[in-house]
Amino acid sequence: MRIRLRFFAALREQMGARGERSVKSGATVGTLWRALVAERPELAAVPVRFAVNETYVAPSHRLADGDEVAIFPPVSGGR
Amino acid sequence: MLRVTRTPIVPTALLRAMRDPAAGAVVTFLGTTRNENAGRRVVRLEYEAFSRMAEREMRALAATATKRWTLRKVAMVHRIGIVPVGEASVAIAVSAGHRAEAFAACHWLIDRLKEIVPIWKREHFRGGQVWIGPQQGIPEASVGRAAARRTSACGGRRRHAPRRGDR
Repeated sequence: MRIRLRFFAALREQMGARGERSVKSGATVGTLWRALVAERPELAAVPVRFAVNETYVAPSHRLADGDEVAIFPPVSGGR
Repeated sequence: MLRVTRTPIVPTALLRAMRDPAAGAVVTFLGTTRNENAGRRVVRLEYEAFSRMAEREMRALAATATKRWTLRKVAMVHRIGIVPVGEASVAIAVSAGHRAEAFAACHWLIDRLKEIVPIWKREHFRGGQVWIGPQQGIPEASVGRAAARRTSACGGRRRHAPRRGDR
């Protein structure tokens, strides 16, 4: 399956804004992230959130062909 | 009016959008760039958004708040790009039959926006820049070691964010 990737903020600076990747059928967002971390171990310590097709999902979310997966740090905060 | 914009926020436009004959109260909130943060002299803030998702999340928040507090109107605008000191990066306005609902809803909306709407802030201060997370800054170009540095960045009252190659 082909998956489109988008990165934001500090992660975008490390990974680029967009990417594309093939994953096996049945892959989850978590498997995809672990594959990225395996290639770039420095990502392991990064707190991230995931969205698929512009909706927040848990790492256990199962991917479908053509999905757009956005990976980004926690949002901006302030108090 | 629920959107992400690159142009300066015009509070009167939000106020106009609040007009409703059944409203007895209008509450507005503006978040502005403050000139200091954690002992650093802030010169400007820079915001980045996943705009389509951010607007989608804003619509969901507005719908939830409208139901929960029986609001008349809701507007939320977030500016992205450079926001100089003193200018607004975010504006929220709500109108309701009575002020208690309007205050409560406005407070809830800004808190939730900061938690879940995908917009990130980079602080430019005298001597460096840093991505700001919910609890702490993530030093630029060292996001992979952010977790390890969090303690020192917060507890150690570090004045400047580490630079590239800095260990």
